[in-house]
Amino acid sequence: MRRSDLGEFEEIVLLAVAALAPGAYSVSIAEELENETGQTVSTGAVHAALQRLEQKGYLSSHLGEATQERGGRRKRLFTVTAYGGKILHDVRSVRNSLWDRITPAEMTKMGLNFSNS
Amino acid sequence: MQPLPPRWLDKLAHRICAPHLREELLGDLYERYALRHRRTGARKANWFFMREVTALLRPSIMKRKPSPYRSPSAFNPEMLRNYFKIGSRVLLKNSGYSAIHITGLSIGLWACMMVATVVIDSLSYDRQWSRKDDIYRIVTVNKMAQNISERNSSSPSGLAPVLQKNYAEVESWSALSSGEKHFKIRLTDNEGINTNLLTADTSVGRILDLKLLAGTLKHPTQAHQSLVVTRSYAARIFPGQDAVGKIIYDIPVFSSEPTPYEITGLIDDLPYNSHLRADAIRLEVSKPETLVNNGIMSFGRNYILLKHGTDIAEFTKKVNAFYVRFMKNNDREQFEFQPLTDVYLHSDFAEGQRVKASIRTIYIFGGVALLLLFIACVNFVNLSTAKAFARVKEAGVRKVLSGSRMQLVMQLLTETLLLFGISVGVAVFAYFFTLSPVENFLGHRLILTFTSNMLMAAGALLMFFLTALLTGLYPAWVISGFKPAATLRGMFTASLGQIGLRKTLVVAQFSISIIVLVATIVVWQQFDLMKNKELGYDKNNLIGIEQISWNGKGEAFKNEVQRIPGVVRSTLSTWMPTEGAGYMQREVKDPIHANRRIRVWYIAGDIDLPATLGLKMVKGRTFSNRFADAFNADSLREADVAKFEQAQMRQSSLMTATAAQMLGIRQLDTYAKDAQSVPVGIVSDFHNESLYEPIKPTLILAQKAPEYGGMLIRIQPGTEMQVAAGIRRIWKGFFADKLLRINNVEQQLTKQYEAESKLHQLFLFFSGLTMFLSALGIFGLVVQAAEQRAKEVGIRKVLGASVAGIVGLISRDFVKLVVIAIVVASPLAWYALQKWLESYPYRTPISWWVFVATGTATLLVTIGTVSYQAIRAATADPVRSLRSE
Repeated sequence: MRRSDLGEFEEIVLLAVAALAPGAYSVSIAEELENETGQTVSTGAVHAALQRLEQKGYLSSHLGEATQERGGRRKRLFTVTAYGGKILHDVRSVRNSLWDRITPAEMTKMGLNFSNS
Repeated sequence: MQPLPPRWLDKLAHRICAPHLREELLGDLYERYALRHRRTGARKANWFFMREVTALLRPSIMKRKPSPYRSPSAFNPEMLRNYFKIGSRVLLKNSGYSAIHITGLSIGLWACMMVATVVIDSLSYDRQWSRKDDIYRIVTVNKMAQNISERNSSSPSGLAPVLQKNYAEVESWSALSSGEKHFKIRLTDNEGINTNLLTADTSVGRILDLKLLAGTLKHPTQAHQSLVVTRSYAARIFPGQDAVGKIIYDIPVFSSEPTPYEITGLIDDLPYNSHLRADAIRLEVSKPETLVNNGIMSFGRNYILLKHGTDIAEFTKKVNAFYVRFMKNNDREQFEFQPLTDVYLHSDFAEGQRVKASIRTIYIFGGVALLLLFIACVNFVNLSTAKAFARVKEAGVRKVLSGSRMQLVMQLLTETLLLFGISVGVAVFAYFFTLSPVENFLGHRLILTFTSNMLMAAGALLMFFLTALLTGLYPAWVISGFKPAATLRGMFTASLGQIGLRKTLVVAQFSISIIVLVATIVVWQQFDLMKNKELGYDKNNLIGIEQISWNGKGEAFKNEVQRIPGVVRSTLSTWMPTEGAGYMQREVKDPIHANRRIRVWYIAGDIDLPATLGLKMVKGRTFSNRFADAFNADSLREADVAKFEQAQMRQSSLMTATAAQMLGIRQLDTYAKDAQSVPVGIVSDFHNESLYEPIKPTLILAQKAPEYGGMLIRIQPGTEMQVAAGIRRIWKGFFADKLLRINNVEQQLTKQYEAESKLHQLFLFFSGLTMFLSALGIFGLVVQAAEQRAKEVGIRKVLGASVAGIVGLISRDFVKLVVIAIVVASPLAWYALQKWLESYPYRTPISWWVFVATGTATLLVTIGTVSYQAIRAATADPVRSLRSE
């Protein structure tokens, strides 16, 4: 697996697309991320990340319907491809296995209570 | 209602975003704006929108998607070849236009190169000495009155040695003066070789770089004068022989016998582009004089070498403070240090400096040449934009066939470069062959030329290339900018701005031509005035023998000359026209204005001097033998100086009207203190110096056969040759060894105004060129206008317009422009020439007819140029122009 392919922001955007399916497009993703993180996220940044992800083949897209708010412009909706799903899974399993290897004693030292989350 | 983001931000976002991303991205921005607007209100939403727009500034969003129908790069080799092919075909097809372009540009470029050569050459003087930045000439500034001072290129001989002793900054000094001498190789030779001679003391080697090839720079022999010759001069007088050790002789002017000179050294040639240009150097042992603060000092041209990096302003201040102290608080004389590199161009004040030029002439020269190039380039731009009409269809077709604008610009630029290239070729060719006539005109050689110096040639080519690019860019931009749809439908109208620009350029062009033309006339008038002004004496039919020492035989020689048929009267004189204002000057207190000093000049000759010159008596009497006016100055001075001084007080004198008035002389025949003599008569004013100087108050003294002096001979009209032959014959008998130099006084006088004469010739030449180029430009435009309006003319003719009416119609626009140019240029010319004339004490008035004449001439040229084409257009068969299409 080529971990270097996926930046942190890209990973979050990719997850957001999966979570928001089937209504994932720049605005909904940006708003969602703002809600989750409490930080301002600009549409341009999200769009650029989406573009990159699509180029790498993790996402596919199609044009959706136009609304009046958008000035009559259509939106581009994104869905995660099978390859994208595999990548997400890989990332997750790496994380999980690492989490699992942390000893309870170490966990307590870090100030994390292992017994319940 | 739908809330909308600020318009300008919206536009900006539109601009930033690539077209293929606009739909989704701008839609997203709008949607989020609406969301924010609902949530937080308009202000915060606007603020956020601005952040969003700035966040768009990333390559992935800004990058435009390449068109699927791409044209090849404008710089690929195929295209480059194509530009040349099409370009040369276009130029050949429009050979008439090409000829106009090439003629105009060649002339402009040629003139520019020529003048650049002269300017660069002038600036190169004295820049090749290794210590050029540290060598200064000492200039004496003489305060005559408040705010009036005179600068003099010579300084007290004792000053430089004292400076070297007192100031650590001074490394060395040397007295250098240049002159001419005739040398002969054998004593028995009749003719001498004219030699530029630099006289220097032995310290010259420390100041200038003299590359010694043989011999020595010291002064080894006491027996002879010591001479160091340059390599090329040695090759001229002793071809193929070793010159060192040989003895040559000068042809004496003042001494009675030829002086032997031993050649003691051989040096490499001195640079020609130096004001110290010389064939040989006469070495003298330096014998420093002591500086004195009372009594007589001798003056010389002194050069001083300072340590590198000396602050010259500071040094000047120090020296002047010292000198004032030394002279017991008398600050009438001050000194300046003139950098060696300034001596050639900034020495208008330096009388007797033979190699010099005026920076003013260089400026005028350069200015006019730049204007000429400007006119040539304007022609180019004007014609090209006017011709845009013919090219836009081509441009349209090329664009439709997926040609890019860059390619079009490149195509048109290639044509410009081709034209410039040919013109440069022609100009260089002309330049090469006109170099020597120009050198003749200037009177000296040009050392740095574009054909001899690679660096200059490369610089010139680069400049030409840039000029071509600058000139070609505007027309190319205009032509390539038209919308193909409009041009192909034939909806071509030149935009107003373009026509305005073209008109402005034509006006500018003609204004320049008119200014130059007016300048030509006024410079000629000024020259004519100086050449022909009444000088107060009769300068016609007067010949002069240049100053020599008469060895006591002056009187006898004069008697012999008197007998030559054709000689009316002759006089031995210490003053010759064109050789300064007098042999002596005396400063006296101004009796009318306190605190001012005036300078009175003295001229001396035998008693025939006033009559020979033809001076007019105003009051009193002239010199006469009856009154013992003549005064044997030479023998009296030798006998007893004190007695001589006393006798001088009682001496009779004549004074000019100005002198009498300035000195307040009312009574004749009594001793006048300010004149230091007894005035016996007043003559009307005469110009003893050139007309660059105002009239000088002058006293004339009579001397019995002065020992040193020249001779003025009044002759009958038309006998000049005969008298000159007679003088030569008598001269052989009297002074076989001496150099005889006979001049026509009138010619000598005219020679003084060589600068004006040259300026006039230059302006004459340039005015012809500028007028020709302007006419050429307008000719091109009128051809264009006639072509463009062919259909209009056809319809007018069908409807019954007369030929005269149509000629008027076409010509009117151009004549109007020229009239505007006349109105604009006349006051400018008047002002500039008024400024130029200010430096002359005797100046010609600029009369109104000059402007009328130039205006008329310009109009005539314009009408002549325009009407030929206009008549051709008007008489063309209307069927032909209307049938096309």
